Amino acid sequence: MTKFILRRLLLMLLTMFLVSVAVFAITSAAPGNVARNVLGIQITPEQEASFLAQNGLDKPMVERYISWLAGTDWRAAAKVGLGLKRIKTTDGFTEWWAVEEDGTMIRWVLEGEDLIARRQQADGSVVEQPDNGRWQIKDAKSEAARLQAYRAELQNDPQIAEADRQVILKPLDRILEILNSTDSQLSSPEALLSALAEPEGVLQALRDGEAAKQKQDLKNAGEEFAGKTALIQAIVVAQRLSDPAANELKQSDLQFMASQLSRASAKIKPVDPGLADQLQQAYESLKAGDAQAAKARMVEATPALIALTGNLGALADGLQNGDYLLAATVLRDLSDPAKMPFDEAQMAVLPEILGAAGKALQATQADLGDALLQAVENLQAGQTDEARKAFLQAADQLAAKGLVIARTDAAGKALVGRTFWGIDTQNHAVRWETGSGKEVWVFIQGTGWKAYSGGPAEYIPLQKGLVRGDPGVSLRTGRPVADLLYIRLRNSLILAGIAFVIVMPLALVLGVIAGLKEGKSSDRILSIGGMMFSVTPEFATGIFLIIIFSFWLKLVPGATVFGEKAPWSRPDMLVLPVLTLALIELGYVMRITRASMVDVMKAPYIRTAFLKGLPYRRVVMKHGIRNALMAPITVIMLHVNWLLGGIVVVEVIFGYPGLGSYLLDSALFKDFNAIEAGAMILVLVAVITQLLADITYTFINPRIRYS
Amino acid sequence: MAESEQSNPVSTHPSRWKRIGSRFSILFASKTAMIGLFIVLFWVLAAIFAPLLTPYSPTEQDYKARNSPPSAAHILGTDDLGRDLWARLIYGARVVLVMLPINDHLWLPIGTAIWGVLLGLIVGATLGLMSGYMRGWKDEVVMRGLDAMMAFPVILLYMIIIAAVGSSATNVVLAIAIVGVPGIARLVRSLALDIRTRDYIRAAELRGENPWYIMFVEILPNARGPIIIDAMLRVGYAIFAMGTLGFLGLGLPPPSADWGSMVAVGRRFILAGSPWAAIWPSLAIASLVVGLNLLADGLREETMRYQ
Repeated sequence: MTKFILRRLLLMLLTMFLVSVAVFAITSAAPGNVARNVLGIQITPEQEASFLAQNGLDKPMVERYISWLAGTDWRAAAKVGLGLKRIKTTDGFTEWWAVEEDGTMIRWVLEGEDLIARRQQADGSVVEQPDNGRWQIKDAKSEAARLQAYRAELQNDPQIAEADRQVILKPLDRILEILNSTDSQLSSPEALLSALAEPEGVLQALRDGEAAKQKQDLKNAGEEFAGKTALIQAIVVAQRLSDPAANELKQSDLQFMASQLSRASAKIKPVDPGLADQLQQAYESLKAGDAQAAKARMVEATPALIALTGNLGALADGLQNGDYLLAATVLRDLSDPAKMPFDEAQMAVLPEILGAAGKALQATQADLGDALLQAVENLQAGQTDEARKAFLQAADQLAAKGLVIARTDAAGKALVGRTFWGIDTQNHAVRWETGSGKEVWVFIQGTGWKAYSGGPAEYIPLQKGLVRGDPGVSLRTGRPVADLLYIRLRNSLILAGIAFVIVMPLALVLGVIAGLKEGKSSDRILSIGGMMFSVTPEFATGIFLIIIFSFWLKLVPGATVFGEKAPWSRPDMLVLPVLTLALIELGYVMRITRASMVDVMKAPYIRTAFLKGLPYRRVVMKHGIRNALMAPITVIMLHVNWLLGGIVVVEVIFGYPGLGSYLLDSALFKDFNAIEAGAMILVLVAVITQLLADITYTFINPRIRYS
Repeated sequence: MAESEQSNPVSTHPSRWKRIGSRFSILFASKTAMIGLFIVLFWVLAAIFAPLLTPYSPTEQDYKARNSPPSAAHILGTDDLGRDLWARLIYGARVVLVMLPINDHLWLPIGTAIWGVLLGLIVGATLGLMSGYMRGWKDEVVMRGLDAMMAFPVILLYMIIIAAVGSSATNVVLAIAIVGVPGIARLVRSLALDIRTRDYIRAAELRGENPWYIMFVEILPNARGPIIIDAMLRVGYAIFAMGTLGFLGLGLPPPSADWGSMVAVGRRFILAGSPWAAIWPSLAIASLVVGLNLLADGLREETMRYQ
């Protein structure tokens, strides 16, 4: 007996293992789709790659399977070098923190090149402190090679002032010397760090704390300015069409570009009808999907467009790409009467464009923006000379800013790259890197996409793993799957339990009656009726019941709305779901009982009992039923799989907040953590009932018990 | 079939006719089987001759008559987009019973449900024969794998497969086949375990036949009776599954006339006062599945009686 149960338990474990592999393999079949499903189809390939990396979906299948099953925190803890702890916030989200030796919880964020530690205090508040001491030097050899290459680049970088270049080159050469030295005293990381401290200190002093933010602000302003100005968009369209990649543009892109050209054309029409006409033709070609014809038109139109806009497209480009020399040159050209006559056509469009540029800049760069807006006012008042002065002033300011930003950038790049494994604020273990210059897209729930440069290089999403009770975080809600899963499972078990309690006695009694009257009309009606109910799909039965009881008779509600409340708070809403489930089960169990009863009643010992002269009642009750019920009881348990299937559909029909509808919603959303966890729970329920069925059967059936 | 009969010598005619006649007499003898056959034939014929039975196309929309009850113009009424329900019903039967749409231009004869069962039969029978006839570690591996598959609630297996590969008629066929394999393989295995002890198998082995020959030429044909009846029930399950998948939004993509998705859309308008779009497809799928079960039950009862 014990041996039998042990064997069954082992088999169950094996089955669960195979099932977990299957569930995992099937749901992870198409990870690319997950990103598109969650973030929408318009995400760029870089954003998709970032999303996959942050969710650990770019790792090999086996590694992901182990992480899913056994968690990642132990692996991450080894990399970080501190213990990790999972806490739950008051609003139901999980947070992972590293725990320092003294028990304080700590996480890190990267701001520019600076590592900031966020320590949680006893009162729950979080204190931020620079924590650059944790950086470790990346591989010295590869860093030496990178810096050597960067030195050559620095020599030819036109953005940097000559004086700055010389100041940076000196410590850079020193650093290279240290990295390349074969001195064995420098082989330990500590010695290397202390040797680097001096030249790196010089470089750090050259860096301006505001520069990174200013660079981002200028970039945003450039984007905003370009995006809001129809004529500049037309120039951008021309550039995109001339790009070799233009052949791969999708129909929707072409339509979008067409609409931009149409706007630009309308803007120019009063000023330059000929140019407007060219744009209009390009617009029509694009509309018809002919990118080649549109390109030819736009190549013709571009010089005129650039002249008309005073080359302000280049200003936008320069701001976006960090080419402040170019941007400043554009502004300087505006102040030069030889290059910019401010004729009638230009006067018709330029103030508006410059106004847009000024407004975009004003938000963050008040001095620049004000200068431009002042120039616009002057232009409109006819004071061209005043305007030219303002342009010159703006150009100088921009150039000065550009120099500071370029110096900061260059000094940053000349530093030796550092790396650090830590915990970020989005529940990943992250390997941060400096000096790589890579741009990383981070998706923050509720905020959207943000680009960070020189930041995270590798992610380990933190979770405890399925076997430790943490199947991860739902992609739909951002909350842990396990919490909701528990409530949903409870609701489903209530529904199934009520149906089970109602069905079983009824089905067994009806089945016995049908079996006793085999072949008679009451048997026929019961069997065919039972068969019809059991083979009709649940959704059809459910629809019939809704139409009859809630549409025609208006007796009970046709849907379940519980909100946060427990299902038992509204028993009237449970009537139809339970009835639907019961009808389907009823037919099945009844058929089994009937067949079993028919078999038993034909057995020799029943005939003997009759021949002994026992009354019919006694034969049936004492000899018939006891033996006849053995088969149905095990079959019922084995039938739990089917019942669970019915529950999914019934929950969807009536909007019942159970495990089944949760699974379906998750499957449609490709919320893989939720599907996998839900599926495993459902399978576990099924497997355990089957095990119970086997064990019960051996207890009920003496023939097996004593063999 | 008719040709081969004509080419046969005249003397075999009576016995052949008698054999076919006796086959059908089983059918005619059972009232339940007759009723089932009648229902199934009704849907098969309606599906084949769908274009002749309605002037509407299943996707033609009539914005003036939305959610209308049965009338002379639309005998079963219309759905929320004003599409004729009778037309959608019989074109929906086509997808289930007589054609499998692969893409916009290509379709295969024989319905989606039946293809699913056929594919499942091929894979399941092969696995079942292998483990039943060859035994040993192959048997053990196959049976453990199948046990794991059987542990899945069927609907869950459908859900995660379709969620992973996307919904289309071809994928529905695949899902039906995958879900059907374990049951078929177990049945075939148990039959093969019985048949492999027979003398004619021993004889074939002594002749030195290839094991695959023995499995597919000696064992499989002799196990066909129970397999055919099981397959018939499985077509019922497959139709059931197609309906359920459609209802859950995992079936054929719209605007295909899919019974399950018709119910899923139609049920939203029940409490608004127009239950027709939900009633008819529910009735259709219920009647077809009940018909198939009556047919299979009747056949099984009759064949058992003379055994």
